[in-house]
Amino acid sequence: MVQLTIVLYKAYHQFSHLTIRLALGGCTKWPFYHIVASLNKCPKDGHFMEQLGSYHPVSNSYGKKLIALNLDQIWHCTGCGAHLSKPVEKFLGLSGYFPQHLTVVTNAERFSKTDTEATETRELTSVNIAVGIRLKSS
Amino acid sequence: MATLRVSLSLWNLHAGSRGAGRVYFRARSRPRPGDLFQPLPGVCGAGTPCRGLCSESESGSPKIKKPTFMDEEVQSILIKMTGLDLLKIFKPAIQETKPPTYKLMTQAQLEEATRQAIEAAKVRLKMPPVLEERTPINDVLAEDKILEGTETAKYVFTDISYSIPHRERFIVVREPSGTLRKASWEERDRMIQIYFPKEGRRVLTPVIFREENLETMYSQDRHVDVLNLCVAQFEPDSADYIKIHHQTYEDIDKYGKYDLLRSTRHFGGMAWYFVNKKKIDGLLIDQIQRDLADDATSLVQLYHILHPDGQSAQEAKEQAAEGLQLIKVFAKTEAQKGAYIELTLQAYQEAFISSSAAS
Repeated sequence: MVQLTIVLYKAYHQFSHLTIRLALGGCTKWPFYHIVASLNKCPKDGHFMEQLGSYHPVSNSYGKKLIALNLDQIWHCTGCGAHLSKPVEKFLGLSGYFPQHLTVVTNAERFSKTDTEATETRELTSVNIAVGIRLKSS
Repeated sequence: MATLRVSLSLWNLHAGSRGAGRVYFRARSRPRPGDLFQPLPGVCGAGTPCRGLCSESESGSPKIKKPTFMDEEVQSILIKMTGLDLLKIFKPAIQETKPPTYKLMTQAQLEEATRQAIEAAKVRLKMPPVLEERTPINDVLAEDKILEGTETAKYVFTDISYSIPHRERFIVVREPSGTLRKASWEERDRMIQIYFPKEGRRVLTPVIFREENLETMYSQDRHVDVLNLCVAQFEPDSADYIKIHHQTYEDIDKYGKYDLLRSTRHFGGMAWYFVNKKKIDGLLIDQIQRDLADDATSLVQLYHILHPDGQSAQEAKEQAAEGLQLIKVFAKTEAQKGAYIELTLQAYQEAFISSSAAS
Protein backbone atom coordinates (compact mmCIF):
# COMPACT_ATOMS: atom_id res chain seq x y z
CA MET A 1 0.00 0.00 0.00
CA VAL A 2 1.73 3.16 -1.17
CA GLN A 3 1.18 6.22 1.02
CA LEU A 4 0.26 8.82 -1.57
CA THR A 5 -0.20 11.82 0.74
CA ILE A 6 3.47 11.93 1.65
CA VAL A 7 4.56 11.73 -1.99
CA LEU A 8 2.11 14.43 -3.01
CA TYR A 9 3.17 16.62 -0.12
CA LYS A 10 6.84 16.30 -1.02
CA ALA A 11 6.08 17.07 -4.66
CA TYR A 12 4.01 20.13 -3.77
CA HIS A 13 6.23 21.61 -1.09
CA GLN A 14 9.66 20.91 -2.51
CA PHE A 15 10.49 24.58 -3.05
CA SER A 16 9.29 26.01 0.23
CA HIS A 17 10.94 25.77 3.61
CA LEU A 18 9.83 26.26 7.17
CA THR A 19 10.26 29.74 8.60
CA ILE A 20 9.87 31.08 12.10
CA ARG A 21 8.51 34.59 11.84
CA LEU A 22 6.14 37.13 13.36
CA ALA A 23 2.47 36.94 12.34
CA LEU A 24 0.56 40.17 12.93
CA GLY A 25 -2.74 40.11 14.75
CA GLY A 26 -4.73 42.42 17.00
CA CYS A 27 -6.73 45.55 16.15
CA THR A 28 -6.13 49.01 14.75
CA LYS A 29 -3.48 50.85 16.78
CA TRP A 30 -2.97 47.67 18.86
CA PRO A 31 -0.56 45.26 17.15
CA PHE A 32 0.19 41.84 18.59
CA TYR A 33 2.56 39.38 17.01
CA HIS A 34 2.52 35.60 17.30
CA ILE A 35 5.89 33.94 16.78
CA VAL A 36 4.92 31.21 14.39
CA ALA A 37 6.54 28.35 12.44
CA SER A 38 4.98 28.26 8.97
CA LEU A 39 5.93 27.43 5.40
CA ASN A 40 7.68 30.12 3.45
CA LYS A 41 5.05 30.46 0.73
CA CYS A 42 2.07 30.76 3.08
CA PRO A 43 0.66 34.22 3.73
CA LYS A 44 2.47 35.72 6.67
CA ASP A 45 -0.61 35.98 8.87
CA GLY A 46 -2.29 32.87 7.54
CA HIS A 47 -1.98 29.14 8.02
CA PHE A 48 0.88 28.06 10.29
CA MET A 49 2.29 24.79 11.57
CA GLU A 50 2.91 25.69 15.17
CA GLN A 51 2.84 28.69 17.48
CA LEU A 52 6.15 29.21 19.22
CA GLY A 53 5.54 32.34 21.23
CA SER A 54 4.27 35.88 21.18
CA TYR A 55 5.51 39.46 21.09
CA HIS A 56 3.58 42.52 22.20
CA PRO A 57 5.22 45.73 20.96
CA VAL A 58 3.16 47.93 23.30
CA SER A 59 4.62 48.29 26.81
CA ASN A 60 2.35 47.24 29.67
CA SER A 61 1.52 49.09 32.90
CA TYR A 62 4.99 48.23 34.28
CA GLY A 63 6.70 49.68 31.19
CA LYS A 64 7.76 46.29 29.84
CA LYS A 65 7.30 44.58 26.48
CA LEU A 66 6.52 40.90 26.85
CA ILE A 67 8.07 38.29 24.58
CA ALA A 68 7.39 34.60 25.03
CA LEU A 69 9.64 32.04 23.31
CA ASN A 70 9.02 28.31 23.34
CA LEU A 71 12.74 27.53 23.28
CA ASP A 72 12.23 23.76 23.26
CA GLN A 73 10.20 23.89 20.07
CA ILE A 74 12.41 26.56 18.44
CA TRP A 75 15.37 24.29 19.13
CA HIS A 76 13.49 21.39 17.52
CA CYS A 77 12.32 23.38 14.49
CA THR A 78 15.75 24.89 13.83
CA GLY A 79 17.19 21.42 14.12
CA CYS A 80 14.76 20.24 11.45
CA GLY A 81 15.90 23.03 9.13
CA ALA A 82 13.68 26.02 9.79
CA HIS A 83 14.88 29.47 8.81
CA LEU A 84 14.50 32.41 11.15
CA SER A 85 13.29 35.85 10.16
CA LYS A 86 15.28 38.93 11.20
CA PRO A 87 13.04 40.08 14.08
CA VAL A 88 13.06 36.57 15.56
CA GLU A 89 16.86 36.45 15.34
CA LYS A 90 17.01 39.85 17.03
CA PHE A 91 14.83 38.62 19.87
CA LEU A 92 16.88 35.50 20.37
CA GLY A 93 19.96 37.70 20.49
CA LEU A 94 18.46 40.16 22.94
CA SER A 95 17.30 37.35 25.22
CA GLY A 96 20.81 35.97 25.45
CA TYR A 97 19.95 32.65 23.81
CA PHE A 98 21.98 33.50 20.66
CA PRO A 99 24.78 35.99 20.11
CA GLN A 100 23.61 39.50 19.18
CA HIS A 101 22.43 39.99 15.62
CA LEU A 102 24.75 41.94 13.30
CA THR A 103 22.18 44.61 12.47
CA VAL A 104 21.56 45.24 16.16
CA VAL A 105 25.25 45.80 16.74
CA THR A 106 25.70 48.02 13.69
CA ASN A 107 22.64 50.09 14.53
CA ALA A 108 23.82 50.47 18.08
CA GLU A 109 27.23 51.59 16.90
CA ARG A 110 25.73 54.11 14.51
CA PHE A 111 23.45 55.33 17.30
CA SER A 112 26.28 55.90 19.71
CA LYS A 113 28.24 57.84 17.01
CA THR A 114 31.60 57.35 18.57
CA ASP A 115 34.89 57.21 16.61
CA THR A 116 36.43 53.92 15.52
CA GLU A 117 38.89 53.62 18.42
CA ALA A 118 36.16 53.65 21.07
CA THR A 119 34.06 51.06 19.18
CA GLU A 120 37.02 48.70 18.87
CA THR A 121 37.66 48.71 22.61
CA ARG A 122 34.05 47.92 23.51
CA GLU A 123 33.42 44.21 23.77
CA LEU A 124 30.39 42.06 23.47
CA THR A 125 29.87 40.34 26.79
CA SER A 126 26.64 38.42 26.28
CA VAL A 127 27.11 34.65 26.60
CA ASN A 128 24.92 31.75 25.50
CA ILE A 129 24.01 30.95 29.06
CA ALA A 130 20.75 29.17 28.26
CA VAL A 131 22.40 27.10 25.55
CA GLY A 132 25.32 26.25 27.81
CA ILE A 133 23.10 24.97 30.58
CA ARG A 134 21.02 22.92 28.16
CA LEU A 135 24.12 21.34 26.67
CA LYS A 136 25.39 20.48 30.15
CA SER A 137 22.10 18.95 31.22
CA SER A 138 21.48 16.97 28.02
CA MET B 1 19.55 14.63 -4.23
CA ALA B 2 19.51 17.90 -2.36
CA THR B 3 15.83 18.43 -3.06
CA LEU B 4 15.05 14.90 -1.89
CA ARG B 5 16.90 15.47 1.37
CA VAL B 6 15.21 18.83 1.87
CA SER B 7 11.77 17.41 1.25
CA LEU B 8 12.50 14.43 3.50
CA SER B 9 13.51 16.74 6.33
CA LEU B 10 10.44 18.88 5.67
CA TRP B 11 8.25 15.82 5.89
CA ASN B 12 9.91 14.78 9.16
CA LEU B 13 9.40 18.24 10.51
CA HIS B 14 5.84 18.41 9.31
CA ALA B 15 4.89 15.03 10.73
CA GLY B 16 6.84 15.69 13.90
CA SER B 17 5.55 19.21 14.36
CA ARG B 18 2.01 18.21 13.54
CA GLY B 19 2.16 15.47 16.12
CA ALA B 20 3.92 17.73 18.56
CA GLY B 21 1.50 20.53 17.80
CA ARG B 22 -1.49 18.33 18.52
CA VAL B 23 0.10 16.98 21.68
CA TYR B 24 1.09 20.50 22.72
CA PHE B 25 -2.37 21.98 22.44
CA ARG B 26 -4.18 19.04 24.00
CA ALA B 27 -1.69 18.39 26.77
CA ARG B 28 -2.17 21.91 28.06
CA SER B 29 -5.19 20.89 30.11
CA ARG B 30 -6.88 23.24 32.49
CA PRO B 31 -6.04 22.59 36.15
CA ARG B 32 -8.67 20.50 37.94
CA PRO B 33 -10.65 22.16 40.74
CA GLY B 34 -9.04 19.82 43.25
CA ASP B 35 -5.62 21.31 42.48
CA LEU B 36 -6.26 24.20 44.83
CA PHE B 37 -6.24 21.79 47.75
CA GLN B 38 -3.00 20.07 46.83
CA PRO B 39 0.53 21.31 47.28
CA LEU B 40 1.47 23.58 44.40
CA PRO B 41 3.43 21.76 41.71
CA GLY B 42 5.79 24.71 41.60
CA VAL B 43 7.14 23.94 45.05
CA CYS B 44 10.61 22.42 44.68
CA GLY B 45 9.90 21.61 41.08
CA ALA B 46 8.51 18.10 41.32
CA GLY B 47 5.77 18.31 43.93
CA THR B 48 7.81 16.67 46.71
CA PRO B 49 8.19 19.16 49.55
CA CYS B 50 11.52 17.76 50.76
CA ARG B 51 14.20 19.50 48.72
CA GLY B 52 13.63 23.11 49.70
CA LEU B 53 13.01 22.31 53.36
CA CYS B 54 16.32 20.58 54.04
CA SER B 55 17.90 23.98 54.65
CA GLU B 56 15.67 24.54 57.67
CA SER B 57 16.90 21.48 59.48
CA GLU B 58 20.58 22.46 59.09
CA SER B 59 20.30 25.57 61.26
CA GLY B 60 21.49 25.32 64.87
CA SER B 61 24.08 22.83 66.14
CA PRO B 62 24.88 19.89 63.87
CA LYS B 63 24.06 17.30 66.57
CA ILE B 64 20.49 18.40 67.34
CA LYS B 65 18.26 18.09 64.27
CA LYS B 66 15.63 20.84 64.45
CA PRO B 67 12.19 19.40 63.65
CA THR B 68 10.55 20.85 60.52
CA PHE B 69 6.90 21.31 59.64
CA MET B 70 6.96 18.22 57.42
CA ASP B 71 8.27 15.70 59.99
CA GLU B 72 5.94 12.71 60.42
CA GLU B 73 5.73 13.12 64.18
CA VAL B 74 4.86 16.82 63.91
CA GLN B 75 2.36 16.19 61.12
CA SER B 76 0.60 13.41 63.06
CA ILE B 77 0.21 15.68 66.12
CA LEU B 78 -1.10 18.55 63.99
CA ILE B 79 -3.56 16.33 62.09
CA LYS B 80 -4.90 14.95 65.38
CA MET B 81 -5.40 18.49 66.72
CA THR B 82 -7.15 19.69 63.55
CA GLY B 83 -10.08 17.42 64.19
CA LEU B 84 -12.48 15.95 61.63
CA ASP B 85 -15.82 17.76 61.86
CA LEU B 86 -17.49 16.49 58.67
CA LEU B 87 -20.37 18.93 58.86
CA LYS B 88 -17.96 21.87 58.87
CA ILE B 89 -15.60 20.50 56.20
CA PHE B 90 -18.39 19.77 53.74
CA LYS B 91 -20.27 22.94 54.54
CA PRO B 92 -22.37 23.93 51.52
CA ALA B 93 -20.30 26.24 49.34
CA ILE B 94 -21.82 28.83 47.01
CA GLN B 95 -22.61 26.97 43.80
CA GLU B 96 -25.38 26.48 41.25
CA THR B 97 -28.68 25.81 42.93
CA LYS B 98 -30.20 22.43 42.24
CA PRO B 99 -32.85 20.51 44.16
CA PRO B 100 -31.39 18.34 46.95
CA THR B 101 -31.07 14.57 46.48
CA TYR B 102 -32.29 12.17 49.16
CA LYS B 103 -31.01 8.62 49.45
CA LEU B 104 -32.50 5.76 51.43
CA MET B 105 -29.67 3.71 52.93
CA THR B 106 -29.23 0.75 55.21
CA GLN B 107 -26.93 1.04 58.22
CA ALA B 108 -24.09 -0.66 56.34
CA GLN B 109 -24.46 1.67 53.38
CA LEU B 110 -24.50 4.68 55.70
CA GLU B 111 -21.28 3.51 57.33
CA GLU B 112 -19.72 3.01 53.90
CA ALA B 113 -20.79 6.52 52.85
CA THR B 114 -19.36 7.99 56.08
CA ARG B 115 -16.08 6.15 55.51
CA GLN B 116 -15.83 7.56 51.97
CA ALA B 117 -16.68 11.02 53.30
CA ILE B 118 -13.86 10.72 55.85
CA GLU B 119 -11.40 9.80 53.07
CA ALA B 120 -12.51 12.81 51.02
CA ALA B 121 -12.28 15.01 54.12
CA LYS B 122 -8.68 13.89 54.75
CA VAL B 123 -7.77 14.95 51.21
CA ARG B 124 -9.36 18.34 51.81
CA LEU B 125 -7.51 18.76 55.10
CA LYS B 126 -4.05 18.39 53.52
CA MET B 127 -2.01 21.25 54.95
CA PRO B 128 -0.42 23.89 52.69
CA PRO B 129 3.38 23.94 53.13
CA VAL B 130 5.13 26.24 55.58
CA LEU B 131 8.41 27.47 54.05
CA GLU B 132 10.98 30.12 54.81
CA GLU B 133 10.87 33.41 52.94
CA ARG B 134 12.63 33.23 49.56
CA THR B 135 15.85 35.18 48.98
CA PRO B 136 15.53 37.89 46.28
CA ILE B 137 17.16 37.26 42.90
CA ASN B 138 19.86 39.72 41.90
CA ASP B 139 21.58 37.85 39.09
CA VAL B 140 23.01 39.82 36.17
CA LEU B 141 23.69 37.59 33.18
CA ALA B 142 25.35 40.06 30.80
CA GLU B 143 26.17 43.74 30.45
CA ASP B 144 26.20 44.94 26.85
CA LYS B 145 27.20 48.58 26.95
CA ILE B 146 26.82 48.72 23.16
CA LEU B 147 23.03 48.41 23.34
CA GLU B 148 22.69 51.37 25.67
CA GLY B 149 20.10 53.84 24.41
CA THR B 150 18.90 51.84 21.39
CA GLU B 151 15.65 50.81 23.07
CA THR B 152 13.28 52.77 25.26
CA ALA B 153 11.46 49.98 27.09
CA LYS B 154 12.42 46.86 28.97
CA TYR B 155 12.00 43.51 27.24
CA VAL B 156 10.90 40.52 29.32
CA PHE B 157 11.73 37.16 27.74
CA THR B 158 9.88 34.12 29.07
CA ASP B 159 10.67 30.56 28.09
CA ILE B 160 7.32 28.86 27.55
CA SER B 161 8.59 25.31 26.99
CA TYR B 162 6.00 23.03 28.47
CA SER B 163 8.29 20.42 30.00
CA ILE B 164 10.17 22.70 32.39
CA PRO B 165 8.94 23.09 36.00
CA HIS B 166 8.01 26.66 36.82
CA ARG B 167 10.84 27.12 39.32
CA GLU B 168 13.50 26.38 36.70
CA ARG B 169 12.05 28.50 33.92
CA PHE B 170 14.24 31.18 32.30
CA ILE B 171 12.64 34.60 32.69
CA VAL B 172 15.11 37.36 31.84
CA VAL B 173 14.76 41.11 31.47
CA ARG B 174 16.80 43.23 29.02
CA GLU B 175 17.01 46.77 30.37
CA PRO B 176 17.34 49.86 28.10
CA SER B 177 20.85 50.25 29.54
CA GLY B 178 21.84 46.94 27.94
CA THR B 179 22.02 44.77 31.07
CA LEU B 180 20.49 41.32 30.87
CA ARG B 181 19.27 40.29 34.32
CA LYS B 182 17.12 37.53 35.75
CA ALA B 183 13.59 38.62 36.63
CA SER B 184 12.69 39.14 40.29
CA TRP B 185 10.30 36.79 42.09
CA GLU B 186 7.25 39.08 41.66
CA GLU B 187 7.95 39.46 37.93
CA ARG B 188 8.39 35.68 37.63
CA ASP B 189 5.06 34.99 39.33
CA ARG B 190 3.29 37.50 37.08
CA MET B 191 4.78 36.09 33.86
CA ILE B 192 4.02 32.51 34.82
CA GLN B 193 0.44 33.46 35.62
CA ILE B 194 0.11 35.23 32.23
CA TYR B 195 1.39 32.30 30.17
CA PHE B 196 0.31 29.40 32.37
CA PRO B 197 -2.79 30.68 34.10
CA LYS B 198 -3.74 28.91 37.29
CA GLU B 199 -7.33 28.75 38.49
CA GLY B 200 -8.10 31.17 41.28
CA ARG B 201 -4.94 33.19 40.79
CA ARG B 202 -4.83 36.69 39.30
CA VAL B 203 -1.97 38.45 37.55
CA LEU B 204 -2.12 41.61 39.67
CA THR B 205 -2.56 41.30 43.44
CA PRO B 206 -6.29 41.53 44.31
CA VAL B 207 -7.53 44.54 46.28
CA ILE B 208 -8.72 42.31 49.14
CA PHE B 209 -5.16 41.91 50.43
CA ARG B 210 -4.84 45.58 51.36
CA GLU B 211 -4.75 46.44 55.08
CA GLU B 212 -8.18 48.07 55.38
CA ASN B 213 -9.95 45.27 53.46
CA LEU B 214 -8.23 42.60 55.55
CA GLU B 215 -9.46 44.37 58.71
CA THR B 216 -13.03 44.21 57.37
CA MET B 217 -12.65 40.49 56.67
CA TYR B 218 -11.32 39.85 60.18
CA SER B 219 -14.20 41.75 61.74
CA GLN B 220 -16.61 39.54 59.80
CA ASP B 221 -14.85 36.40 61.13
CA ARG B 222 -13.83 35.32 57.61
CA HIS B 223 -10.28 34.29 58.40
CA VAL B 224 -10.68 30.98 56.54
CA ASP B 225 -11.67 32.80 53.34
CA VAL B 226 -8.67 35.13 53.66
CA LEU B 227 -6.29 32.19 54.09
CA ASN B 228 -7.82 30.24 51.19
CA LEU B 229 -7.50 33.25 48.88
CA CYS B 230 -3.93 33.75 50.06
CA VAL B 231 -3.01 30.12 49.29
CA ALA B 232 -4.56 30.43 45.83
CA GLN B 233 -2.89 33.74 44.97
CA PHE B 234 0.67 33.60 46.33
CA GLU B 235 3.52 31.10 46.31
CA PRO B 236 4.15 29.50 49.75
CA ASP B 237 7.58 31.05 50.15
CA SER B 238 6.72 34.57 49.00
CA ALA B 239 6.89 37.45 51.47
CA ASP B 240 3.22 38.39 50.96
CA TYR B 241 1.99 34.86 51.75
CA ILE B 242 3.98 34.64 54.99
CA LYS B 243 3.04 38.18 56.06
CA ILE B 244 -0.71 37.67 55.52
CA HIS B 245 -0.67 34.30 57.28
CA HIS B 246 1.16 35.75 60.31
CA GLN B 247 -1.25 38.70 60.39
CA THR B 248 -4.26 36.38 60.36
CA TYR B 249 -2.85 34.19 63.12
CA GLU B 250 -2.08 37.26 65.29
CA ASP B 251 -5.64 38.51 64.83
CA ILE B 252 -7.05 35.11 65.82
CA ASP B 253 -4.82 35.05 68.88
CA LYS B 254 -5.89 38.57 69.89
CA TYR B 255 -9.59 37.73 69.90
CA GLY B 256 -9.34 34.04 70.79
CA LYS B 257 -11.16 32.85 67.67
CA TYR B 258 -9.27 29.56 67.41
CA ASP B 259 -12.40 27.57 66.67
CA LEU B 260 -12.78 29.26 63.26
CA LEU B 261 -9.80 27.32 61.92
CA ARG B 262 -10.53 23.98 63.59
CA SER B 263 -11.32 21.24 60.99
CA THR B 264 -9.79 23.36 58.22
CA ARG B 265 -6.43 22.78 56.59
CA HIS B 266 -4.97 25.94 58.14
CA PHE B 267 -5.12 24.74 61.76
CA GLY B 268 -1.78 22.95 61.52
CA GLY B 269 -0.02 26.03 60.19
CA MET B 270 -1.52 28.17 62.96
CA ALA B 271 -0.46 25.72 65.70
CA TRP B 272 3.06 25.57 64.20
CA TYR B 273 3.31 29.37 64.17
CA PHE B 274 2.22 29.68 67.80
CA VAL B 275 4.57 26.93 68.99
CA ASN B 276 7.48 28.61 67.21
CA LYS B 277 6.62 31.98 68.75
CA LYS B 278 6.01 30.39 72.18
CA LYS B 279 2.49 31.83 72.38
CA ILE B 280 0.41 28.70 72.91
CA ASP B 281 -1.40 29.91 76.06
CA GLY B 282 -4.56 31.17 74.35
CA LEU B 283 -4.84 28.02 72.25
CA LEU B 284 -4.35 25.80 75.32
CA ILE B 285 -7.08 27.62 77.28
CA ASP B 286 -9.46 27.38 74.34
CA GLN B 287 -8.83 23.64 73.98
CA ILE B 288 -9.35 22.92 77.70
CA GLN B 289 -12.56 24.99 77.74
CA ARG B 290 -13.93 22.90 74.86
CA ASP B 291 -13.08 19.66 76.69
CA LEU B 292 -10.26 18.72 74.27
CA ALA B 293 -7.73 17.65 76.91
CA ASP B 294 -5.95 15.23 74.54
CA ASP B 295 -5.35 18.01 72.03
CA ALA B 296 -4.00 20.22 74.81
CA THR B 297 -1.53 17.53 75.92
CA SER B 298 -0.38 16.91 72.35
CA LEU B 299 0.14 20.66 71.88
CA VAL B 300 2.39 20.77 74.95
CA GLN B 301 4.22 17.67 73.63
CA LEU B 302 4.81 19.46 70.32
CA TYR B 303 6.13 22.44 72.24
CA HIS B 304 8.59 20.18 74.05
CA ILE B 305 9.71 18.61 70.76
CA LEU B 306 10.45 22.02 69.29
CA HIS B 307 12.05 23.60 72.37
CA PRO B 308 13.78 20.73 74.19
CA ASP B 309 16.18 23.10 75.94
CA GLY B 310 13.41 24.97 77.73
CA GLN B 311 12.56 24.78 81.41
CA SER B 312 9.23 23.01 81.02
CA ALA B 313 10.65 20.30 78.75
CA GLN B 314 13.39 19.39 81.19
CA GLU B 315 11.06 19.41 84.22
CA ALA B 316 8.59 17.22 82.37
CA LYS B 317 11.36 14.75 81.58
CA GLU B 318 12.42 14.67 85.26
CA GLN B 319 8.91 14.11 86.52
CA ALA B 320 7.98 11.81 83.58
CA ALA B 321 4.69 13.72 83.48
CA GLU B 322 1.75 12.58 81.35
CA GLY B 323 -1.65 13.93 80.39
CA LEU B 324 -2.94 16.84 82.47
CA GLN B 325 0.24 16.74 84.57
CA LEU B 326 2.19 17.90 81.47
CA ILE B 327 -0.06 20.93 81.10
CA LYS B 328 0.36 21.77 84.81
CA VAL B 329 4.18 21.57 84.49
CA PHE B 330 4.07 23.84 81.44
CA ALA B 331 1.71 26.29 83.18
CA LYS B 332 4.04 26.54 86.17
CA THR B 333 7.26 27.04 84.22
CA GLU B 334 7.08 28.72 80.83
CA ALA B 335 3.55 30.01 80.30
CA GLN B 336 2.68 33.72 80.32
CA LYS B 337 -0.86 33.15 81.54
CA GLY B 338 0.07 30.29 83.86
CA ALA B 339 -2.50 31.10 86.56
CA TYR B 340 -5.31 31.28 83.99
CA ILE B 341 -4.37 27.88 82.58
CA GLU B 342 -4.37 26.32 86.04
CA LEU B 343 -7.78 27.83 86.80
CA THR B 344 -9.31 26.45 83.61
CA LEU B 345 -7.71 23.05 84.29
CA GLN B 346 -9.24 23.01 87.77
CA ALA B 347 -12.67 23.91 86.39
CA TYR B 348 -12.35 21.18 83.73
CA GLN B 349 -11.37 18.57 86.33
CA GLU B 350 -14.27 19.54 88.60
CA ALA B 351 -16.72 19.37 85.71
CA PHE B 352 -15.27 15.99 84.69
CA ILE B 353 -15.61 14.58 88.21
CA SER B 354 -19.16 15.89 88.67
CA SER B 355 -20.28 14.54 85.30
CA SER B 356 -18.72 11.12 85.98
CA ALA B 357 -20.31 11.10 89.44
CA ALA B 358 -23.72 11.99 88.01
CA SER B 359 -23.61 9.31 85.26
